[in-house]
Amino acid sequence: MFDAVRSNKRIVQVILALIAITFAFFGIESYLQFLGKDDYVAKVGRSKITAQELDQALREEQDRLRSQLGEAFDPSIMQRPELKRSVVDGLVNQRLLRLQLDSSGMRATPESLRQMIAGIPAFQEEGKFSQKRYEQMLAARGYSPDRFEAGLAQDLAQQQLIAGVGRSAIVPAAVVDRWLTLQDETREVSMWSLSAATYLPQVKLAADAAQKDYDANKARYETPEQVKVEYLVLSQDELGAQVSVSDDEIRKQYDADPKRYAAPEERRARHILIEAAKDAGADKRAAAKAKAEALHKQVVAKPDSFAVLAKANSQDPGSAANGGDLGFFARGAMVKPFEDAAFGLKVGQISAVVETDYGYHIIQLEEVRGGGVKSFDQVKGEIAVELKQSAAAKRYAEVADSFGNTVYEQPDSLKPAAEKYKLVLRQSDWIAKGGRGLPAPFNNEKVMAAVFSADSVKNSRNTEAIDLGNNSMVSLRVLEHKAAAIRPFAEVRAAIEQKLTVDEAIKLAAKDGEAQIAKLRKGEAVEAKFGQTGEVSRAKPGPLPLDALKAVFRTPVDKLPAFAGIEVPGQGYAVFKISKVTKPALAPNDPRRADLASQYGRLLAEEDLRAYVAALRDRYPVKLSKSAGDAKE
Amino acid sequence: MAAFDLEEQEQIATLKAWWEKWGTLVTIVAVALALAVLGWRGWEWYKHKQASEASVIFATLVQAVEAKDAQKIREASGVISERYGATAYADMSALLAAQAQAAAGDRASAKTKLEWAATKGNDPLTRDLARLRLAAVLMDDKAYDAAVKQLEAKPAKPFAARYADLRGDALVAQGKPAEALIAYKEALALVSAENEQGPQAMKSVLELKVDALGGGK
Repeated sequence: MFDAVRSNKRIVQVILALIAITFAFFGIESYLQFLGKDDYVAKVGRSKITAQELDQALREEQDRLRSQLGEAFDPSIMQRPELKRSVVDGLVNQRLLRLQLDSSGMRATPESLRQMIAGIPAFQEEGKFSQKRYEQMLAARGYSPDRFEAGLAQDLAQQQLIAGVGRSAIVPAAVVDRWLTLQDETREVSMWSLSAATYLPQVKLAADAAQKDYDANKARYETPEQVKVEYLVLSQDELGAQVSVSDDEIRKQYDADPKRYAAPEERRARHILIEAAKDAGADKRAAAKAKAEALHKQVVAKPDSFAVLAKANSQDPGSAANGGDLGFFARGAMVKPFEDAAFGLKVGQISAVVETDYGYHIIQLEEVRGGGVKSFDQVKGEIAVELKQSAAAKRYAEVADSFGNTVYEQPDSLKPAAEKYKLVLRQSDWIAKGGRGLPAPFNNEKVMAAVFSADSVKNSRNTEAIDLGNNSMVSLRVLEHKAAAIRPFAEVRAAIEQKLTVDEAIKLAAKDGEAQIAKLRKGEAVEAKFGQTGEVSRAKPGPLPLDALKAVFRTPVDKLPAFAGIEVPGQGYAVFKISKVTKPALAPNDPRRADLASQYGRLLAEEDLRAYVAALRDRYPVKLSKSAGDAKE
Repeated sequence: MAAFDLEEQEQIATLKAWWEKWGTLVTIVAVALALAVLGWRGWEWYKHKQASEASVIFATLVQAVEAKDAQKIREASGVISERYGATAYADMSALLAAQAQAAAGDRASAKTKLEWAATKGNDPLTRDLARLRLAAVLMDDKAYDAAVKQLEAKPAKPFAARYADLRGDALVAQGKPAEALIAYKEALALVSAENEQGPQAMKSVLELKVDALGGGK
């Protein structure tokens, strides 16, 4: 190999020189990028979205859904292909915008980035940005400042683009007026319903109609695989019920550190505030102080009148009406000078005038609670619970492994384990494979997979002990099993025939209805039974369902009465007679205009942004790799 | 010199000969390359500087628009279009400022901005958007023919539905329902042709517009 280098020295030198030049001018990144791996989910223009990026985005989506849905969150939705696809789409759109921002040179300025970061409350200490806290918070979330700032800069630049594209839609007044006019237009209608029941006797089904329908739609009559199981849950809670704690133990725990059971001290006070902002002029502050001093004299002379004076004079809108009463507060809730004063008073005592950033306060202490050490009897229950919990956790840790072994070593029954650990053996109802919204523990994917595995179903073996999280685990055993099946024709025949007959009757009703409408339009005599007349508009549909409303309003009304008809699913056919049309004129200063304009503007803005991103797809071709393509299936 | 053996001396000789023959050319090419790269980098640096400065002013424009401060909107967008007309911020600021000005009733200023962005804007996509905005302002001026004319130009495909929809609006306002119906139907077809994640709200708006002109099924 080195011979090759020796004999081609010059070529090698030239290549090395070229590489060195590349580094000098373009930095090492471009070279590394060039060597980059081919492990990507999608390619947007010339940039790639990696599998790691997709994983990260999926995790973030999961966290988002979990915090949004709380208890209702079902982890199995993360497996749905639609979800993966929408996450991939989101990443692709982000990348499209980034490429567009890069190529058009739009970027957030360092100043705006600094402002933005300094304005995030999580990075502040006492209302001011703290570099230390900033770094701590980022480190806790696994971000480096560089990466975090790059992401934020991207967001800021993206907001600029969105402002230009998505907030600049203009809604012509004529469009708003036309829309309101259409919403206000009323039509007087009456309905004649042709019920399917009337046409039932005319229906003649072919002898093999039901069979044909059954053959064509077998999937509809499928029943999924089902099992009935018994199961044992070993959990900290269940074990907690078995643990008992003696009074001695509780006593010992209490005596070891009675201070632990102290409640933080809280105080209830009234105050009178004479406002004077920190940055108000010296005159104003002095005037406020004088006023406060005068009031102070009054309350000291007549402490009982504090509440009345507070009500009349305090400028704190939150408390003045309650006679200045602030309720209970602990240390840390009030500004420092106020807190110092309030916690330095005795009950009933009145403070001197206290100066804070808000102005001047006079404080009277009303009540003190907490602070002292609680007596043994007060906290006995609390300690018992605490001890039980820690005993149960300890016991759980001890027996978790051996529980797993027991159910594994005696695989044909859960009884030995139930007896050994004094657990309740529970039985489930029928559980369908792939069922949604099942109760615990069947809302767990691992549980469902184990229950429907071949070993459980065929041999009725105990499943392994499955960890459910939160210090609990479960083992299950199948008692009964039903394979997936298609219900036999004989069983469903009657139902199919019933449905086909109704469908046919509705078709007959529709045919008849359309014929009647044609006659009515020509002005021929028809024995129609129209019901009550009522007024409807697009904005106020009254009792009309959306389909009917649409049918009524898309009918041309150059000639009255006009007629419209619509099939009513499961019921028959409805004929509408439109006897009168009113188009009220818009008032010149109709207040709905502004609202509608902004609503319609938002709709257009959304559409513009969507179209803009779609147009970027033509500019930066998007290619999804196979692994993203899996999601498309 | 005796430190080199025969083979090496020979190599040095060939190298010298090679350099005599090609040296000048190699030097010229290397210098030209270096200059080209430097020039390119310099141009990039200049563009970056322009964009950064424009970005700062654009941020004040966004604030002014939020505060509805007509004076500041005029100043900020004026500075961007005068000094940074070749940056993407010029396009964005024209669109954003025009919307604010039109909303405040200053249609003349809005039109000037949008005319610039529609014909001289830096990006075909923002030019498309600007024409759409311009047509809307022209409609408020009751210049329907001019509005329709703006919308007859062919935009990038994803904007085609918006163009057809607004053309329909202009034609309705002009009292030409039959032509409007054709335009609305075109927009509806374009919107419906997109996949299921397409614009549902836009679709139902267009359906209503079509139905209202008696074009529904």
